[in-house]
Amino acid sequence: MIEALRLGIVFCEATLWDGLDFAFEDGSATVIVGPPSCGKTLLLSILRGERKPDAGDVLVSGRSLYSTDRSAVTDLRAVSGFVPERFEADGKLTVNNLFTRSSMVCHEIDSTEQKDRWERLLAMVGLTRKKDARLSTLSSSERVRAALAAELLRSPKVLFMDSAVMMAGTPYTGMMGNLLRVLAGAGNIVLAAERKLPQGWEKFASQRKPKGPFFEYRLPPIVTEGESD
Amino acid sequence: MKENVSLFWIDWRLARRMTVLQSSGRFALLFVMACAFLLLLLSLGASRYIASNYIITALLKESVSDEEAIGLARQISALSPVRHAEYLDSAASWKEFIRAYPGVESISSIEGNPLPGYIEIRMRHDQFTQANIRTVTSALKPLEQVDKVLAGEEFLREAFKVKRVLGAFFLGGFALFVALFFAICRLQERIRCAALAGDFEFMRGRGVTQKRIACSRAAGAAVLGGLLAVAAVCIAALFLNLLVGKYPLLANVVGPQEELFSALTTTAAGVFVLVAAVLFAGASLLGWAPLRPAGDQ
Repeated sequence: MIEALRLGIVFCEATLWDGLDFAFEDGSATVIVGPPSCGKTLLLSILRGERKPDAGDVLVSGRSLYSTDRSAVTDLRAVSGFVPERFEADGKLTVNNLFTRSSMVCHEIDSTEQKDRWERLLAMVGLTRKKDARLSTLSSSERVRAALAAELLRSPKVLFMDSAVMMAGTPYTGMMGNLLRVLAGAGNIVLAAERKLPQGWEKFASQRKPKGPFFEYRLPPIVTEGESD
Repeated sequence: MKENVSLFWIDWRLARRMTVLQSSGRFALLFVMACAFLLLLLSLGASRYIASNYIITALLKESVSDEEAIGLARQISALSPVRHAEYLDSAASWKEFIRAYPGVESISSIEGNPLPGYIEIRMRHDQFTQANIRTVTSALKPLEQVDKVLAGEEFLREAFKVKRVLGAFFLGGFALFVALFFAICRLQERIRCAALAGDFEFMRGRGVTQKRIACSRAAGAAVLGGLLAVAAVCIAALFLNLLVGKYPLLANVVGPQEELFSALTTTAAGVFVLVAAVLFAGASLLGWAPLRPAGDQ
């Protein structure tokens, strides 16, 4: 469980937001929605242990991310995945290089299973034919989907996504919604930040009480009997 | 759970082409370094060459019989700084003389062979010092069979001066080469770190600490360095062996072929491999550019 307590941020000598409380339980999928420049990326950074808030704290399974002992951050990173809003890639990096990179930190899965899983993930995000393509030649949507597949390879217990649904584009909105719900159904924590609730998600998403500039939506988990990926 | 992850060959997995290219370059340099190292070790700078051209001559009295002289040569051979002591009787001595000064055969026909027998003493190159030469000459002079000891004192002063200068020159050159090699390795590591910065950042964001990445890479580099050094030193030894076989004159500089595979050379090669492993690991650690100085270990 990830808990954010009384979070506050001062930005350019002005309070961006203050006193925000969040709780993300195991097996939950949450979409944080807010207008541009309201601090969605910043909030995700704080929740990932990347940026210390000006006020408040973040607890992961009861351990503070911002105490002097940074082991909680390392442990959270070890079990989490992150799909950034912008995916900068050098000219030579290919989709398959993302697989190699991710497999280097892939726990508990043997290499044959990793390759098999990679093929299935690429098929799921519609990039089977692009696995040898350089990222610099891909569209923003394809890059985000490749990054998502690389994260899912490791079966992260916590998945952070920054505007990934919007970047993936409308054709993938339904697939992404189902994916997040399935991941939550498998007991993971999924946290997505978006400018607005993706199209079609309002049918199943339940809105919670607004917090500062953010609207919080919960997606009902889908429990499957098969594998979560 | 994290302990299961192997980052040992991280560079090989993430930047194979660059790793292979850089390692090939390092191997070529290691080979040159191994050749230089073996040459330096076996020749001890200029010691072997000078020692092989230096002879102490113990002129024997006319009354000394051949048996007595051979026994004496054997005794001299037993001295630790002496590599070889050989008795040459007056006939052999005369042959040597007329070979050196052709046209003087007539003296013999008038006066007979005027030359005495002598013992020719050669020093070990690794004990070729002025003190050891003094030890040998001091041991020879009091012997009643010995008439005169010729140790070439004038030549010695110059020889040792040349030996010192050449020794310092070769050793300094080798040290400079090692330093240059280390600098190149470090530069290569920096280039590779820059190329892999995105991957390291990715790993850092997935709970792999910088310290762990750096240590894993250094351990991998040490193993690679050791393996490359073993290959380099073996090939260098075979190469020198081949050269000495083809050009026997080289034996004056590096010694006989069997010395290339002696226990001393093998031990020194082991040290060379260890040093190479340490250099590789050190270059890896020093070339490691911290991604974010704060907020991570």
